[in-house]
Amino acid sequence: MSTDQRDGGRPGDVQGPTVPRMLVGIQLHRFREAAGITPDQAAYEIRASRSKISRMENGLVRFKERDVTDLLSLYGITDELIRSSLVTLTRQANTPGWWSKYGDIMADWFEAYLGLETAASVIRTFDLQFVNGLFQTEDYARAVTMLGHTSAPADEIERRVSLRLKRQDVLTGPKPPQVWSVLDEGALRRPVGGTAVMRAQLDRLIEVARLRHVTIQVVPFSRGGHTAAGGSFTVLRFSEPEVPDVVYIEQLTSALYLDKREDVDHYMEVMNHLSTEALTPASSSRFVAEIIRDI
Amino acid sequence: MTDVSSSPGGSDPAGTGIDTTVPHSARIWNYWLGGKDNYAVDREAGDQYREIFPGIAVVARTSRAFLTRAVRYLAGEAGMRQFLDVGTGLPTANNTHEVAQSVAPESRIVYVDNDPLVLAHARALLTSSPEGACDYLDADIRNPAAILDTAASLLDFKQPVALMLMGIMGHFTDDEAYPIVSALQAGLPSGSYFALYDGASTNEAFNQAQEGYNASGAVPYYLRSPEQFKRFFEGLELVEPGVVPVPHWRPDPDAEPVEIYSYCGVGRKP
Repeated sequence: MSTDQRDGGRPGDVQGPTVPRMLVGIQLHRFREAAGITPDQAAYEIRASRSKISRMENGLVRFKERDVTDLLSLYGITDELIRSSLVTLTRQANTPGWWSKYGDIMADWFEAYLGLETAASVIRTFDLQFVNGLFQTEDYARAVTMLGHTSAPADEIERRVSLRLKRQDVLTGPKPPQVWSVLDEGALRRPVGGTAVMRAQLDRLIEVARLRHVTIQVVPFSRGGHTAAGGSFTVLRFSEPEVPDVVYIEQLTSALYLDKREDVDHYMEVMNHLSTEALTPASSSRFVAEIIRDI
Repeated sequence: MTDVSSSPGGSDPAGTGIDTTVPHSARIWNYWLGGKDNYAVDREAGDQYREIFPGIAVVARTSRAFLTRAVRYLAGEAGMRQFLDVGTGLPTANNTHEVAQSVAPESRIVYVDNDPLVLAHARALLTSSPEGACDYLDADIRNPAAILDTAASLLDFKQPVALMLMGIMGHFTDDEAYPIVSALQAGLPSGSYFALYDGASTNEAFNQAQEGYNASGAVPYYLRSPEQFKRFFEGLELVEPGVVPVPHWRPDPDAEPVEIYSYCGVGRKP
């Protein structure tokens, strides 16, 4: 499962293209359904594949302005106000995010994740194996990166580590998201990078937990078989009421994004179970401090 | 209809008090407010309710807006720096501590609920400004003495406290509700304030929708008459304009007039 290769950061209060993309996608989807047009018909209109339409509607790709206006015409949307507002959104959706310069070491699916993370208002994560990338120290991040890229040259490892540390800017920006992280005790006990690295990592965890917008909860082994038997996952929430929650599940060579209501409900239910099962934030910090003493 | 109790009966295999097979009033309320913390079972119940009484979403919104105006008044004009918010509900926009601390950052807020889902959300998302403090109590309002006792770890009960019961007393019959409110008020020093809103029985469709809801197996909620509302404020000095429908309580200048069947009031303990 995930080795938490999520890396990145966020420049000040720039939201990035992701939410505009999702908003364009959601509206295109609604208009298409209302017009009773199938994805195949829509794809034919813009000389694209059916899967391209689906990726557009899920906000996962860049849009050509021309494709958007052609689709709106096909869907019978003639209202100039609606058309021009979608065109404006499309332009915003095409502004490159801060992470674009890391394109060479980053898979497309991960780029999409950075976009979501940068735009989210609440990030809820469950981590089973490793401390979440948002809280990793440089040494811990390097150790995790080396586990995931055993044959990579040293300079690539360093760039990956720097991308990961940059991603942590999200925590110190002017309008940080609420990061609500639930960790399995296993992620705290596994001495990634050796005991010194791990001790520093756990110190860092206690330190970030003091931030107002960071919550850390531990599910201790003693709480038994918890509900997330599947593994690590993240749920992202956006402040825009139209934008649905997105579930992100990382796999070895790709990632899964879920935003269908039934799927999101299911994961949110698991996340809520984990959060109520876990120690409270205050007890969790004490728990981490005890582990540090044990090391 | 902020919930204070986890759903009775129903399946809860993980033992965490979250039951997604029975509609949950805090989650339905969240749905009516346009929030995202609700499940299919809550949306179904919420939609059924709305079919009978379409005005419920506006009731939810305007009631929540009353909370914002009341806290702004309490922290502002009334000078309150301590808040006891019983029946917290799921976080939404303008939560009590956000409004209070935007007026007075040093405000101290104790959130009380006995729903594990609500408490987990409150601990993670309702976090205090650095100057003030928030605490979260897992307690049942049926035991007011325990609430007052435990809240004293953060609040100084020798100084005035603003007690807030927002959309919670409807979950109790008169026999339970009046003694609970009296006991909580009795624990506050002179100069303290009390704010409440709940659904009122002044609209037939609202009454019908509520009856249907109460018969569904969810935690029941009882609508009260304006006279019954006034009893909650006996012995207090009512702040103008008294016990009124929520949109009429010190409305914002740009507020649109709406007819709403939810009543509220703010009183000061002499």
